[in-house]
Amino acid sequence: MIKQLGYGLALCAVAAAAPVFAQSDTDAKNFAVIGNVPALCSGGILTGAGSTFDVGVLIDTATGFLRTDLAAPDKLLAGSFCSARSTIAVDATPMLAQNFTGTPPTGFSRTVNYTATASGWTATPAVFTVGAASNPASVQTRPTAFTGDVTVGVSSFTTAEGAALRMVADTSYVGTVTVTLAVAN
Amino acid sequence: MQIRCLLALPLLAFAGAAIAQTSDTATGDVTVGGNVARLCVLGQPSPPTIDVGQMAETSGTRVGRIRTIGAQVVILPASFCNFAGSAVSVTATALVVNDNLAVQPGFARAVNYSASASNWAGSPTDVTTAATASGATPSATSTGASQPLPKIADVRLDLINFSAPGDALLVAGSYSGLVTVTLGPDASSGDVQ
Repeated sequence: MIKQLGYGLALCAVAAAAPVFAQSDTDAKNFAVIGNVPALCSGGILTGAGSTFDVGVLIDTATGFLRTDLAAPDKLLAGSFCSARSTIAVDATPMLAQNFTGTPPTGFSRTVNYTATASGWTATPAVFTVGAASNPASVQTRPTAFTGDVTVGVSSFTTAEGAALRMVADTSYVGTVTVTLAVAN
Repeated sequence: MQIRCLLALPLLAFAGAAIAQTSDTATGDVTVGGNVARLCVLGQPSPPTIDVGQMAETSGTRVGRIRTIGAQVVILPASFCNFAGSAVSVTATALVVNDNLAVQPGFARAVNYSASASNWAGSPTDVTTAATASGATPSATSTGASQPLPKIADVRLDLINFSAPGDALLVAGSYSGLVTVTLGPDASSGDVQ
């Protein structure tokens, strides 16, 4: 009986001491504040005299061949950004005669190829040449978030089937350049 | 076992008195003393975590920049100090993205906010984080006014004015910060909090 009592007293002492050690005159509590930002890309606003590269008259009127000095002012995609690692891709379609839609007569062409370039985003510009067998440089990766302007240019116009062909007359040749900013995984 | 112990003690006391008491009546005073330690206890934060969710605008003129994040409220219920002269201090750490990439020009990798702990002293404890765009110096601490009486109350913490340094574009990723609320003796009570 005495042993049992002693055992019980010991338990009481332990039970009473525990709260004393657990608390003091100062208490602190933490809680986390969390949030997230999704990976975003925005293409910015196209500037530079509208959204059309106008290269003017395509041919040398003395010979009927495609001019070798065709050019158009660059366009600017202002305020573009990606909030994470990203890729920039440039794609382009040939300039095609819009009214003369049939097969051109022998010696003539209705297709103009060119090279589209998107620079300012990556160290190596993204370049796409219409009509090329492959365009390995058309997609470039940037490892960090970035905001800035993308300069889009067109150059190196050529007759699709060869420089020996002349262009068919048409009031409108149209192609399209597409620049895509995307989050890279 | 505790109940058995409490019952046993009075029995022993009676037995002892019976043996000592042999004749006449005697009277004596016994001083009963004790003490109460100084205690401050904060209730468990509710909610235990504040998740402000997606923080960037995904469309419109502010796409990529911080959206309007409403006030967030945390309650620490039934917090108390059993002595006069206590104060609440708050340490807030800005939300910083959980990666080690260097921040790029035009971007920020931190979100600042203000924290205000109220319903303790006469005026709230206010603190505002001031992390830089790179996420440096994210922490800020403030100690509030003294509560001159023992008090039990629900301490309320408001998180407001979420903003990005320079209103820059926010880097994508998961962001996390931390708020620590401390309740203890004020500066004049002798203890360093």
